[in-house]
Amino acid sequence: MWQYIIKRILGLIPLLLVISFVIFMFIHLIPGDPARLMAGKDATLEEVEEVRQSLGLHEPFVKQYISYMGNLLQGDLGYSIKSGAPVVDLILDRVMPTLGLTFLSIIWALVIGILIGVLSAVFRDKWPDRLGMLTAVSGISLPNFWLGLVLIQLFSVQLGLFPTGGDDAGWKSYILPSFALGAGIMAMIARFTRSSLVNTLKQEFIRTGRAKGLSGTSIVFGHALKNSLIPVVTVAGLQFGFLLGGSVVVETVFSFPGLGRLLIDSIQFRDYPVIQAEILFFSLQFILVNLLVDILYSYLNPKIRYD
Amino acid sequence: MMSKLQIETSTMEIPKVKSENRFLNFWRQFRKKKPALFSLYFVFLLLLTMVIGPHIVPYDPAEPNYNRLLEFPTLDHLFGTDEYGRDILSRIIVGARITLSVSVSAVLLGTVVGTVLGLVSGFFGKWVDKAIMRICDVLFAFPDLILAIGIVAILGPGVRNVIIAVAFFNIPSFARIVRGATLEVKEMLFVESARSVGASTTRIVWKHIFPETIPVIIVYFTMNVGTAILSAASLSFLGLGADPSSSDWGAMLSMSRDYIGSSFHLVFFPGLVIFLTVLAFNLLGDGLRDVLDPKTND
Amino acid sequence: MKKSLFLLFLLVSLLFIVVACSDQESAGETGKGSSDEEVNAEENANESADKEITIAIDQNFVTLDPHNAGDTVSIYGIRSMYEGLVGFDEEMNVVPVLAEDYQVSDDALEYTFQLKEGVTFHDGEPFNAEAVKANFKRIIDDDSLRAHRNVQYIDTVEVLGDYEIKFTLNQPFSAMLNKFAMIPLASPKALDDESKDLGLNPVGTGPFKFEEWNQGDSLVVSKYEGYYENDKTNVEQVTFKPVPENGARAAMLQTGEADFVYPVPQQNAGDFEDVEGVEVTETPSTIARYVSINTFNEPFNDVKVRQAMNYAVDKNAYLQVVKNGFGNPLDSTMSSQTQYYSQQDTYDFDLEKAKELMAEAGYKDGFEAEIWGNTSSETVTGMEFIKQQLSQIGIDVKIQSMEEGTLSDEIYTPATPEEAKVQMWYVSWSPSSGDADGATRSLFSSEYLPPEGANTAYYDNSEVTDWINEANETSDAAEQEEIYKNIQSTVYEEAPWIFLASDVILSGSKTNLEGVYVLPDGSVSIANAKLK
Repeated sequence: MWQYIIKRILGLIPLLLVISFVIFMFIHLIPGDPARLMAGKDATLEEVEEVRQSLGLHEPFVKQYISYMGNLLQGDLGYSIKSGAPVVDLILDRVMPTLGLTFLSIIWALVIGILIGVLSAVFRDKWPDRLGMLTAVSGISLPNFWLGLVLIQLFSVQLGLFPTGGDDAGWKSYILPSFALGAGIMAMIARFTRSSLVNTLKQEFIRTGRAKGLSGTSIVFGHALKNSLIPVVTVAGLQFGFLLGGSVVVETVFSFPGLGRLLIDSIQFRDYPVIQAEILFFSLQFILVNLLVDILYSYLNPKIRYD
Repeated sequence: MMSKLQIETSTMEIPKVKSENRFLNFWRQFRKKKPALFSLYFVFLLLLTMVIGPHIVPYDPAEPNYNRLLEFPTLDHLFGTDEYGRDILSRIIVGARITLSVSVSAVLLGTVVGTVLGLVSGFFGKWVDKAIMRICDVLFAFPDLILAIGIVAILGPGVRNVIIAVAFFNIPSFARIVRGATLEVKEMLFVESARSVGASTTRIVWKHIFPETIPVIIVYFTMNVGTAILSAASLSFLGLGADPSSSDWGAMLSMSRDYIGSSFHLVFFPGLVIFLTVLAFNLLGDGLRDVLDPKTND
Repeated sequence: MKKSLFLLFLLVSLLFIVVACSDQESAGETGKGSSDEEVNAEENANESADKEITIAIDQNFVTLDPHNAGDTVSIYGIRSMYEGLVGFDEEMNVVPVLAEDYQVSDDALEYTFQLKEGVTFHDGEPFNAEAVKANFKRIIDDDSLRAHRNVQYIDTVEVLGDYEIKFTLNQPFSAMLNKFAMIPLASPKALDDESKDLGLNPVGTGPFKFEEWNQGDSLVVSKYEGYYENDKTNVEQVTFKPVPENGARAAMLQTGEADFVYPVPQQNAGDFEDVEGVEVTETPSTIARYVSINTFNEPFNDVKVRQAMNYAVDKNAYLQVVKNGFGNPLDSTMSSQTQYYSQQDTYDFDLEKAKELMAEAGYKDGFEAEIWGNTSSETVTGMEFIKQQLSQIGIDVKIQSMEEGTLSDEIYTPATPEEAKVQMWYVSWSPSSGDADGATRSLFSSEYLPPEGANTAYYDNSEVTDWINEANETSDAAEQEEIYKNIQSTVYEEAPWIFLASDVILSGSKTNLEGVYVLPDGSVSIANAKLK
């Protein structure tokens, strides 16, 4: 088991190297000149060139990449072109809000999703199932920025229950954005829980359990659910990337000071070091979560082989 | 994970012998799925709108009327008028064409590329498989919306580039699904026998393996169209959409969002049609999966 | 067990139904409920007790380096903590701030300032002539700093006494005083401190001192107790909060989360009419909104075509549609709030005349053209409007909205006018120091064609270019005014732009807050903030 994990982690290193180069190229391909943006509309060519020199952007591309990677390996992510702040600080400031938001989204999506899924499976093909699935599918069918805007109008402006945005009001500021962000995942989890549970309930050992006279609740929660959770966990994990993407939109709607908004700001400003670091961070996070999912998967289903 | 399809004996028979029966059989099962059936009708309605939309609109969707700005829904204008005094209903009807063609072509592009990669990967295995799957891993590692933002940023705005961007993140999922299905089919009797008869590789893939993966492709294609509409709308929201001044629903929605507090109908109706359309594609996809994909078949 | 599960399910679905229903309510509801006003009143009471205010703004701060800020938001963020020798009052007149008084020599080459005594920086350092010199040394030496452009004509800086300093220019520069107002002064100790980045650790002399800046999120400043005019403000702490989403920002004023909101989106201005305790203020601005026309290429090199385009656009309809009725038609090359503004006869909406001019120019059937702009919803709305209007004279406009970075690349990269692909650009301009030079030189001087400057109309009139230089070199205000008058009438006549509007700035404030206002250049001043 440990061998497997170590092997997987070592396998990540070349993948990350490839990704880092791709991102670096990718970012420099984006049209737009940070020196020009930094210098402003009324700058003369000479002034733009001075800014370019001071940012080190006049160097050839490969040289920039090598020096970037050199610094990266020493743990130095460089400085923001825009504000001059160390990139590490910028990202660390934003990590907790975004992670908090993402995890809260996943948690309530899991809770409600599994609940709806279980109900739908138990009442299969009856109206609770239909309603549950309709609710679930509705969740993935809403544009999340629209949902966010409507939530703000309703719960903040009309009812005054939650703040319109930001993260200064403690847990209250997380409610609406996490709802807008998690709706889609909730739907997927509900659907997977349902289909997976339906399959499990049909299997031999469940029937045996029933024959032995075990109660419905203990069959569903004691036996069937654990077996059905495997695909659910997988789906939840795979949705992590989806959440990070969604966070860009939701954080913009809710003026939430997280990584997603930082990314959009940095892209607008062509703040290369920040974009680079952030996307690397996103990829790393995503890969690690997938690894975690695989490990959890094998825990839930010991029959899986590591190869 | 993807290759866990449980093959039932019924699918083992050589396909295409009685394709008509197969279709009837499918239809008989599908008809029973009421939500999916309704969704199918709805999708047909949308397709019809795409074709005849511009001929049935009550108003010229591009004609501004500066005397009737931001009017609430009335009998004249069932969905109200927008910030230029244009009829929102007419714009939504005409917008069906661009909205759906962007998302359908994006998913189509993603499906074609993904399917080819998946077939090649699954059939040849070895290093080809590894290389393709590695590429898919890298693509997967990028949160999809961020990938799309990057692609549009590099290629510039415009319908074509939005299609490419949205297509991109359909590729890896199709590649994986088709690869999984291919691996299953590859070991099956009729492929083995075709191989032993000495059929060429292309022929085996094209004639025997590809048809078997079609049901799975159809299911995911349908569902991904819904997601693609949402992704395109999100790009519009971030200012990277196809054409902000067109009657594309996502563009309408994101352009009118400043009016949410004062003229709610501007935001409500485009949001509603997007919701209903995506819902229809998802429900249809669900229904199709129940019937076509034996894995979750009850 | 089925029963309990069923109950749970009912609960969940009920929740959704409630959400769905109240959703519809808000769809139909136009007025505001009275209950949230009560909430507001309660919050007001709380906040005035602790004297803290929140200001919601539309963009993030880029930098807090007092000498390297170029965008309006950073500039006023910095001004909340810093002061210069001179500054702007509410109407953007230049007034002494850290200077007690100043003299300008007759040849406009020498500027002498007498400094206020007894002023200290936030770190306790005394403010004196040496401190001023240290600041100017930094700006003059480092040519990558934004403020370096403001000092390009300064030849020498001379300390005459502890509280007197003299600047000598190498050529007269009409806008020099405005430029002095754009240079905030930082503590010399902070300037020297290599270990701390000045941009992240501001130390000035202003009524508020730096507390905290979460990059891309809020900037917090608190009252500086050692300020020389201690009763200027009674607010203990001010939080600037960037909220880019228009709807959310406007909502913050309704919910009471913000005490001051700028800009209030025009679409929402009406929402506040009936809201008690909230006031929306209109300020005429220096922001000019226009479409620049690339005059280098056919068919736009024909002045008749450009005039026709101006006649074809209904400016009043523009204000209604795009600006929700706020703003004024742009009746010169600069806004009425700019130095040496002189009003011109506007191109009033006249389709007949426009068609005539098009026919005279040989474009009776019109032509195809492209308009560029950024991706903000207001710009897109504006471009759409221009497209609708120009279609009336047969010009078929294609809208290209590009992300800001891409756009600036497309516009400023072409090395020669021949390579420039821009035809029309929907944009706005605001001279950051409100001076006529800033509103003219880089827009209309032929020495400032891209990539050298922002003359994206590729407007090339040697007379105008000469005038611009002449205006700079004279120190006689009357003469300057005369020259700028000529420039404005000539350029307006030759129509290198479609002149659209000068913006009216909308800001919203709680009525118990006074002294926070927006200057014509779009910067927020908090120095006199008072809570009742």
